Amino acid sequence: MAKMPKKSRSARDPLYSPRRIRPRILAFTVDWMSWGYIAYSVMYLLNNYWYHRYVDYYGTLTLPDTWGWLVVVFATLELAAISHAFGHSIGLSLFGLRLLDEEYRPPTFKQRLIRFIWWHLLPVGTIVGLVLKRQPGLFHDTRSKTRMYLIADVKDFIPATKPRKWYLTHRGAMIVALITATFWVGWLVTEIDLGAFFGRMSRSTYIWKDLVTPSFEHFILPETKLTVLGAQPIELTILGGIIESVFMALLATVIGAVLAFPLSFLGARNIMGFSPLGWMIYGVTRGFFNVFRSIESLLWAIIFAIWVGHGPFAGALALTIHTIAALGKLYSEQVEGIDPGPLEAIAATGARRWQVVRFGVIPQIIPSYLAFTLYRWDINVRMSTIIAIVGGGGIGRFLFFYKNNVGLIPNSWNQVGAVVITIVAVVWSLDYISGRVREKIT
Amino acid sequence: MEPLLVVEHLTKIYQRGEVLALDDISFTVNRGEFLVLIGLSGSGKSTLLRCINRLIEPTNGRIVFDGIDVTKASPRELRLIRRRMAMIFQNFNLVKRSLVMTNVLSGRLGYANPWLSALQKFPPSDVEMAMANLERVGIPEQAYKRADELSGGQQQRVGIARALMQKPDLLMADEPVSALDPATSNSVMQYIEQMNKEDGVTVITSLHFLSLARRYGTRILALKDGKIVFEGLPAEIDEAKFKEIYGEDAEEVEIR
Repeated sequence: MAKMPKKSRSARDPLYSPRRIRPRILAFTVDWMSWGYIAYSVMYLLNNYWYHRYVDYYGTLTLPDTWGWLVVVFATLELAAISHAFGHSIGLSLFGLRLLDEEYRPPTFKQRLIRFIWWHLLPVGTIVGLVLKRQPGLFHDTRSKTRMYLIADVKDFIPATKPRKWYLTHRGAMIVALITATFWVGWLVTEIDLGAFFGRMSRSTYIWKDLVTPSFEHFILPETKLTVLGAQPIELTILGGIIESVFMALLATVIGAVLAFPLSFLGARNIMGFSPLGWMIYGVTRGFFNVFRSIESLLWAIIFAIWVGHGPFAGALALTIHTIAALGKLYSEQVEGIDPGPLEAIAATGARRWQVVRFGVIPQIIPSYLAFTLYRWDINVRMSTIIAIVGGGGIGRFLFFYKNNVGLIPNSWNQVGAVVITIVAVVWSLDYISGRVREKIT
Repeated sequence: MEPLLVVEHLTKIYQRGEVLALDDISFTVNRGEFLVLIGLSGSGKSTLLRCINRLIEPTNGRIVFDGIDVTKASPRELRLIRRRMAMIFQNFNLVKRSLVMTNVLSGRLGYANPWLSALQKFPPSDVEMAMANLERVGIPEQAYKRADELSGGQQQRVGIARALMQKPDLLMADEPVSALDPATSNSVMQYIEQMNKEDGVTVITSLHFLSLARRYGTRILALKDGKIVFEGLPAEIDEAKFKEIYGEDAEEVEIR
């Protein structure tokens, strides 16, 4: 047990680190932001229920005018200060801070109140401190005889107290408020309408009826009316379409995996973090992964459909680009998660850097690479069935041809049913097989 | 005769947390010695060993190995130095998914033809040597098993075989037996002793048990908070010295 430090209230309390001001500022900012978020959500809800409902049908979110903003900013500032003085708020627990009195005990209500009131003079204290070139005069600290300690500094001196139930704590209540507000606003923004869901169910019955009585008329016999954007009619069968899709996915996965493999080492911290140049390459590679991964394959397909023309090639290219980025990121995380011990051992034998990678890294990552690649193939097959919506080729051509020509072509929903059933069968069986294989290798 | 290893004013400060791990350490190791490092966990034993082959970059000081300044060596020179100093580890540090044979052969990487080694190919002479070394540590029948199929003691013996492949002048062992049971510990220590006595390999090892240190060491170096607190013969460690190294509350435990 460490000894209790002196109880003097001097500025030189050994456990108080006045210079570590950053966590305190950040904690306050987090609390201010949380209150701001709650206030904004409440305004949105009030606006929606009063204005939108009863005044104007087209009413949208109206922001408060300049004065309104000022009121909100200052009100939330006060609320954050109250959070800090009277409870253990989100920000305080996030940055490991705790308000304690000079005996390292939780302060009394009176002390908290004094602290809250004097806190309003913080700007004055700071300015005085800056002018006199001293530590800012923290009146709320001195007057209330309390201080905001870093828990790490004082953890040996805090008396043990039984924790309250999480929902009775200040932090718990605030998190509940944040989640409730978010969900409530989300409900309104997404225009969830249970009335429409249940009341208008009958409108889609005819589609369901057609879908469950599929017509496999064109499973092997080509559909001659199928055209792509007014070009020459192409003869396509469901079987041909699904084969096209599976091959698109296969090529995209294989090419993507082959290209992602070397990139994954460039995007791994433990391989590249040995020099500034290495860090730069790491940053660029990771940036590439993140940017290209967040652009969906469908978007890439639009670009490639124009670049190389409509058809499976455009789709395969789109899937490849997305596969490189997605697999690259997963792969490099695997590289970062390997056991560093063997690398150390191999480096100690006098091996070259790349030999360490060859003998220490690669054997460790091969199984998970295979598993991820198979998993990616599943995703690509699923994606390749709909990539035709933007000109990517594959079975999706069928799907959207019939969907777009409902009413013009007899039995179109029955045809769609056949396509959907084929897709489900293929995707499900590939999922199953790759799942079994993945189980084996990891 | 010139000492094999000279360490002068070695200091290591870990940037993260600003921890002073090694504080101005100087000592020399003569050829053929069996030097044992003792001290509490966190006293700097592992850091010291890793500074010698620069797996960890020292902050300050000089390390001279057989007349070559390790601290000033270029990457190429460092590789040539490293292949003359083998290392074995507390957690064995084998590539678990690779074959025992591959693990042993990886001890040869410092000498191997880089192009052939990229294909995991080694000359037949190296393969023969690996087999001979596995026989020497008593596990030739395990050669084509995966490393993680072996028991702890067997894995450490693979580690020793890997070290033997380097034909080293110096063997550094970082807590080689602390993950093993007492019986296995002794057999592993005997293989290390054999390297020391028969092949004339100089050994620096850190050990947790003073009884092992007394039995195998020709000289003992005790570290505490990154400083050398004792340097001398095993027999010189009495009750008072022991308490100085390990603290007032410590009591010596015997393992056989």
